[in-house]
Amino acid sequence: MALEHVAQGQTRFFTPGVAPDPRGILLGRYAVMTFATLEGAVSWFRLYSSEASLDELLANLTVMKCKTALGGREIVVQIPAVSSYAADRAARLCRLVGGAVYTGTAKHFVKYRDDRSPYGYDAVDIGAMSAATDFMVHGDEFAQGYVREGDLPFQRLLFRLSIRKLPGGENLDGDDRGDLFLAVARGLSEGIIRYLWRNRVDAQAGLFTPGTTSAFEDQSRERGYMLIRVHALPERILQLFLGTPGIDVFRPAGATAAVAVGYEHPIDLASCSSVFAQDTFHVFWPNDRVDVLPGPLALSDIADLTRVDLEMDRPRDPAQHSGTPPEPIGVELKLAASMGPPRRVVATLIPSAHGSRLKRILFALPPVSLRGHRVAATDRGILVIGSENLDVIPLGQLLCELTPGLLVPLGMDVVPRVTPEVLARALGHTAGIVTVFTTDGRPFQVSEGSFATLERRSLAKMEVDQAESVNYAAEAPADAEVVNDSVGRFALWGYPDAPDRKQLPPGK
Amino acid sequence: MAKLHVKDFLTNFVKPLVAGGELHIGAPIPLPDLDRWDRELNDASVESVDVDDARVAVLSTLVCRPPAFLLEADELALAAGLHNALFLVHPRADQWSVSDRQRRKIIDTALAMVSQPLTHNRTRVMARHALLHKLMFLTRRDITVSWWTGRARFQGQKPPTRLTAWKGMRRVREEVTVVDFDELLAVPDTAPVIATLLRRTPLTQLLDAHPGAPPLHWEDAVFLLRDAELARAIAYRLVPDAPPREQIVGPARLAAAYEQMLERAPDEGDVRAVAAFLVHLNALFALAEINLREPGAKSPLISTVLAAEAAGQRPRGLATLLALPGALALVDPRLAMPPGISEIPALAQRWKVHRAQTTELLGDAVIDALAARLRRHFRHTMRDPSEVVQLPMPAPAEPAPTT
Repeated sequence: MALEHVAQGQTRFFTPGVAPDPRGILLGRYAVMTFATLEGAVSWFRLYSSEASLDELLANLTVMKCKTALGGREIVVQIPAVSSYAADRAARLCRLVGGAVYTGTAKHFVKYRDDRSPYGYDAVDIGAMSAATDFMVHGDEFAQGYVREGDLPFQRLLFRLSIRKLPGGENLDGDDRGDLFLAVARGLSEGIIRYLWRNRVDAQAGLFTPGTTSAFEDQSRERGYMLIRVHALPERILQLFLGTPGIDVFRPAGATAAVAVGYEHPIDLASCSSVFAQDTFHVFWPNDRVDVLPGPLALSDIADLTRVDLEMDRPRDPAQHSGTPPEPIGVELKLAASMGPPRRVVATLIPSAHGSRLKRILFALPPVSLRGHRVAATDRGILVIGSENLDVIPLGQLLCELTPGLLVPLGMDVVPRVTPEVLARALGHTAGIVTVFTTDGRPFQVSEGSFATLERRSLAKMEVDQAESVNYAAEAPADAEVVNDSVGRFALWGYPDAPDRKQLPPGK
Repeated sequence: MAKLHVKDFLTNFVKPLVAGGELHIGAPIPLPDLDRWDRELNDASVESVDVDDARVAVLSTLVCRPPAFLLEADELALAAGLHNALFLVHPRADQWSVSDRQRRKIIDTALAMVSQPLTHNRTRVMARHALLHKLMFLTRRDITVSWWTGRARFQGQKPPTRLTAWKGMRRVREEVTVVDFDELLAVPDTAPVIATLLRRTPLTQLLDAHPGAPPLHWEDAVFLLRDAELARAIAYRLVPDAPPREQIVGPARLAAAYEQMLERAPDEGDVRAVAAFLVHLNALFALAEINLREPGAKSPLISTVLAAEAAGQRPRGLATLLALPGALALVDPRLAMPPGISEIPALAQRWKVHRAQTTELLGDAVIDALAARLRRHFRHTMRDPSEVVQLPMPAPAEPAPTT
């Protein structure tokens, strides 16, 4: 028995069912791994699932119990050789756990490549195989035939494995606590829900009964429990739940399984989620208990599950309360002489009767002074507001600004001296409104929309005629046409002779 | 028969003559009526103002500020003379009732009317031109009506409806013929009147032309060239934006008149002025080609009008017009090129191309012959110093006495 090293670019091989892949590595359709014990196979699954997804292998994965010609028993795992990269990973992990790896398609499997032969091996001497042999592997020094004794489904292997206690596994960091499941006994569920709701933990809850296929199960016994999905569970509550009998905490492992906190399944369940049916949810308890719940989980917000106390025998009708208005404690706003320094004049309220004077001032003012001023004509007078100091208009009641839009007469202040915000709220003064206090009456308000710029308002509406364009091009002269009028038969009768004199003036 | 008022004459004849429309030709106007109309002009201010306004409108495309006009007796006489001349081609004037003696009287009267004094006054010249600017463009619609049994011709008259009725049944057919200056004013009876009339309006002769019109006498019109505005207007009217053959018709006509002028004994100043004007027209031809894609390319205008195959179609005066700058360069170089051309390089280049092309197509003989004709009139040219300065000659030796 001998194996030949595959050379680079070699395309013809003795081993049936193998071919070079794009990298030139000899590869069959499958990779076969032989393990002396089942633990070795499980170790390989465990390692592989932690590095890559088992889901891509599960479609053609076969775990077999085989017997050699000498009577030795081995566990053979056959996986599809998707690519030489996947086969490389499988071979590396297989050798790590003490197995051997081969590649082939049907019955003859040849040793997969290693460091000594990077392009793989080709079995030179492939003899006839006995009829009892199911398949044969070709190693360096041997060729071993195997007889298939039975299959070991991966799903059964998965559920036969017990979850293992992790040291310090109860201490979850913030990310791990982001999404947890609580299995709460029925008697505790109400209190736990109220507790979670009180502590403002975002959670959804549902009542589930694990499925069973046993005919000896006591159907009358209540086996169900409340499954609560909590988000961002605080550390203190997690520790409280972990220490409370009747409450079990689980971490989700993929979308269809959850494992008890502090425990871990030997095989990464998230990498083999296709094993679990989509309409189930597997809960891995300690002590080899696996509950299969109907999935996907239908949960309700716990805010709607809090207990409602309803006393039907003592109806509470809405009572009518009558009362007197509260005693007024407010004081009336008044204007009083200001104690502070004089403020800047920003507006003036001109009586309507003085409108003509305002007009004359507008004629006299330079355009620079008019710019930026706004004016509104109200029934209380003409209100002129300037962007800068408005003392250029010596008319009316000069006003200064308490707060934007709140105007009081110059030298006056509002008493009681409340803050401008309080005053504005009391007056209903908001943005877009100008409130004016006057010395002679109640304050009044003007909308900002009724103000117009003084420059625009100072011009009366003008009628502008539309001029028509005139064509000044010289007209083309009309043609002159001779028309002979009727002159009668004897038009020349009596026509005088031409003068016998020279019409030209005498020469020089 | 009621005598015609001047208002009617102004409305029916003078205003259409200026502004266009139908010129109504009636019975010939005798001189006494013209004298009466002169007196009646004061009563026809509305009509005379209409005529004056129309004349201002005519001149508005010629000068910037047309002067104020007032219709005067001499212009009324010119119009009446034209009316009488047009009566000579009136169908009634050919009837048996008009004898040769009567036609002679009408011609003499018309001549007497148009023989107004010549004028060099700018306003009067423009006024006369505005009055007579349509003289060469007068037309008349002659209608020949034929029907199943006969035909009749109506010259400038509307056929009676009795002849044109029932067109289908009587197989009436109307043929319209438009006659122009040739048949109206260039016939033997009217030609002397029109020649006399045109000498009174030299501006019209310069601006407009007709093959049947009498030729221009530059001596009568040269004074207009000394008015810059009018000279510029004449030049621009003579060089229209038209195909090459139409473009040179007006300048060639003036050059032909210049040839005739050289055969007479004009004033040297007039000869120089006309020569300078014709050279200026040559410069306008060059200016029109200043934007040619290839500045040194041959002139399409000169190539067209001086083409050998079209030599028989050259208008009179064309050779003189184009050869004049070259001839003047031999006689008096100051007139050979308009001032300012050298300041525009592109124009100067076109001018050189024109001159070279003209010399090539016309030949030196034509230019030399023209130069010789010009030299007869340019008496004050710079002479050879050897002709002016008399150098002392050594005295001939005395013969030795014989013994």
